[in-house]
Amino acid sequence: MRLWPLATGSAMTAGLWFLAALNALPITNWPTLPWHATNMTIEQILLAFGLVPRAAVALLVGALLGLAGALMQAVLRNPLADPTTLGTAAGAQLAIVMATVFVPGLLAGGNLLVGLGGAAVATLLVMTIGAQRNYAPVTITITGMLVGMLASAVAMAVTLSQGHYLLTLVLWNGGALTQNDFVPALRLFLCLLAALVGAALLARPLAVMSLGAEGARGLGLKVAGLRLVTLCLAVLLSAFVSAEVGLVGFVGLAAPAIARSLGARTILQRLIIASVSGALLLSLTDNILLLVAALGGPSLPTGALTGLIGGPLLIWLLPRMQATVPQTAEDGRHTQPRSDNPVRLLSIITLLTGVTFVICLFTGRGPEGWNIVPSALRDTFLPIRATVLVAAASAGALLAISGAVLQRLTANPMAAPEVLGVTGGSALGYAATVFLVTEPSGLALALGTAAGGTLALVSLSIFVLRRDMAPARILLAGLAIGALASAVLMAIMASSSPQAWSILGWLAGSTSSVTSGGATILATLALALLLVPLIAARWLEMLPLGTETVSALGLPVRRVQFLLIMTAGLATGAATTFVGPVSFVGLMAPHLARSAGLVRPRSFLLASWMLGALLMVLAAFGARTATYPYELPIGLFATLIGVPWLFILLLRKGQA
Amino acid sequence: MTLFALSGVSYNVPGRQLIDGLDLELEPGVVTALVGRNGSGKSTLLRLLAGQAYPSAGSIAYHGRALTDWRRQELARDLAYLPQVTPPAEGMQLGELVALGRYPWRGALGRLRSEDRQAIASAVARCGVSHLTERLVDTLSGGERQRGWIAMMLAQGARTLLLDEPISALDVAHQVEVLGLVHDMCRETGLSAVIVLHDVNMAARYCDRVVALGGGKLLLNGPISHLMTPDALMQVYGLPMTVALQDGDVFALPRNQRICKETP
Repeated sequence: MRLWPLATGSAMTAGLWFLAALNALPITNWPTLPWHATNMTIEQILLAFGLVPRAAVALLVGALLGLAGALMQAVLRNPLADPTTLGTAAGAQLAIVMATVFVPGLLAGGNLLVGLGGAAVATLLVMTIGAQRNYAPVTITITGMLVGMLASAVAMAVTLSQGHYLLTLVLWNGGALTQNDFVPALRLFLCLLAALVGAALLARPLAVMSLGAEGARGLGLKVAGLRLVTLCLAVLLSAFVSAEVGLVGFVGLAAPAIARSLGARTILQRLIIASVSGALLLSLTDNILLLVAALGGPSLPTGALTGLIGGPLLIWLLPRMQATVPQTAEDGRHTQPRSDNPVRLLSIITLLTGVTFVICLFTGRGPEGWNIVPSALRDTFLPIRATVLVAAASAGALLAISGAVLQRLTANPMAAPEVLGVTGGSALGYAATVFLVTEPSGLALALGTAAGGTLALVSLSIFVLRRDMAPARILLAGLAIGALASAVLMAIMASSSPQAWSILGWLAGSTSSVTSGGATILATLALALLLVPLIAARWLEMLPLGTETVSALGLPVRRVQFLLIMTAGLATGAATTFVGPVSFVGLMAPHLARSAGLVRPRSFLLASWMLGALLMVLAAFGARTATYPYELPIGLFATLIGVPWLFILLLRKGQA
Repeated sequence: MTLFALSGVSYNVPGRQLIDGLDLELEPGVVTALVGRNGSGKSTLLRLLAGQAYPSAGSIAYHGRALTDWRRQELARDLAYLPQVTPPAEGMQLGELVALGRYPWRGALGRLRSEDRQAIASAVARCGVSHLTERLVDTLSGGERQRGWIAMMLAQGARTLLLDEPISALDVAHQVEVLGLVHDMCRETGLSAVIVLHDVNMAARYCDRVVALGGGKLLLNGPISHLMTPDALMQVYGLPMTVALQDGDVFALPRNQRICKETP
């Protein structure tokens, strides 16, 4: 085991902290022990009760997260497990945001209990789904990241809807380590001590567990019990961190990886070294940020910055992940329904969409409750509503066609623009346009967004094509890109520049800004981008058979993949400009089409397109009427429709 | 005319040489078994022959023309490859799967003509899966599914079939069914086949020639009877084996080591 990197890290972080402290106050003026605030200057107080506890908190939080990650990785035998990838941290975050906004009384006794509840529920959900697949690493990680994504999306939407809480929540979400006394540091220290004792007690059973569940059972280990106890401990640690400092991403993922690469072999070594490296990692990050701020740079929340290392780290770890579970156990397929009469089914769906569109156009909510637009007001109301509905339908159709193409392309029913990081990339494209172009036009925004989405897809496919990886891992790589994008956005928002506000408003999707011209462009694009895959239907029929088979059939695989990826990226980018980055329509619509039994490519594509339009029209209607007279962001509403759907899907997939 | 001619073919992955300077000629119109121990480079060689991967050094000629000179689609009309693990064909009926074999002829947009339908029908009939065309591929038994995939290769109109362990997941009855089908097709219609096989007895029964690899090098290239000797088997598998002949069938079994020691 090599320990010198840890020693170097310690020296570096200590040095950085000293530089920051010296910059705040020359060493001759440093307060002498014992500290009494009454006879100290302001600068001395800031140093003694701000910088010093902050250094301690960074170390302690890092150690707790490193330990939590190492515990999760050991018990799940999954090198990608950590509080961020399993949704634990996001669950705690959501619970605390919800409590802050709706039942602040709950937080009277501190954030811990509420955060613990959220973390436990999220983890339980992920584990319930994972248990049906025998805790297969890939399944668990995908489920966990989806749960985390949903929780963050909902938390974001709730945050947005509550302007007056915004600043504290955004800061807290970003994991700011700022301190003003020693109490949190002391609490964290006690927690770490208890956790280390617990981890030491678990070391031997965890070592047995490293033989795999079957082997461990053979040696008489109660596997379910060990899973429960270990995960409870890890969840507790994660919730503790969430409650004290907010969301600090991916330290738990990085620390055990560092421990492994340093040559920590036994479980006990890994647990301890992971704690130490976690502490150093977070402390280094925090001290760099401290120094940047001291030198006049922006003051960024530390948690947002650790998120930045998370995405690349996940991608780096992916190929190293052992495929411990065979593909058949991973996908748990069950026979798909298959419709005998797709034409009739398609007609029904089309009719349904048309009728829904008309109903949503004419009905609405007024001061006296539900009504149909009176004829006197038709000329004023209908064009506005029609514009929004046409734009919504087109955006839904675009997302759905993108999802349908991606699902056929990767032969993976969980693929969708939201999952593959396309919407994340689009969001970055939007943000970049907002920052780079002064007063950008709608077209510039749309182009920037589409470029971002395509870029995300292209980088994903370069990565995937080079290694020819299993579909499930493509999903993970996509989720990693998404995580990276949201970390960047978080950092941008925390900088609270004027541009950040425009991005913030757009993130949840807004229908109010759409013009009739914009709606026309979206509708044209939706029709045009339906044609491309329809023409390429035969390709889409073949591609799920895998690159080997289709290239043996003479298909120019790379070119076809590239063309389809561009189509999906363009469609997602255009739609994302309108609805914001999260909606899950691209996942839902193709799924509905498939479970209706439309599996041949043409009918599948047409039905997905139509259903995407239908779902988004419903979302637009809901966003307009649910909280009349206030309008909800359309993306939020679509997400709320999508959340239950996603879980039903994951649960059902597991039953086979 | 040779089917495949390899000269100085090597294939490297970072840190390892999977195929090491192979010179080899394969004959047309026969079933060739490709045997060797695990990791000897059998599947890699088959992938190279199929044009799924390109050699790091050396060249491969198919029907006298370098593989790199064949256009993808042109090659697909002549040569069909079945990977070791057939991918799941979600929601696809067997008939639709076989119809995909016409892709090299009709491309992404061309409609299927009557000759395509004929090719599909005769491929399906030849493989004895005519009664299954309406069934979903994923609901078929292992043997039926494998025959369906072979029907797709036939619908391609290919003259050469490359099969990577086509019987590894099948029971013995289905093994006989699949290998018998390939063998008969080569005998009757002059197709050529190269099959990666682990079972030497099945190879002896259904193949005409054998190519044995060991550590990426050629150990043996000749009629199948050359493999079925204790010396050759010792060389390929590093294991003492008994070769016996009964009622015209030759078969080999690993020698019972304990008995060998007790009765010298």
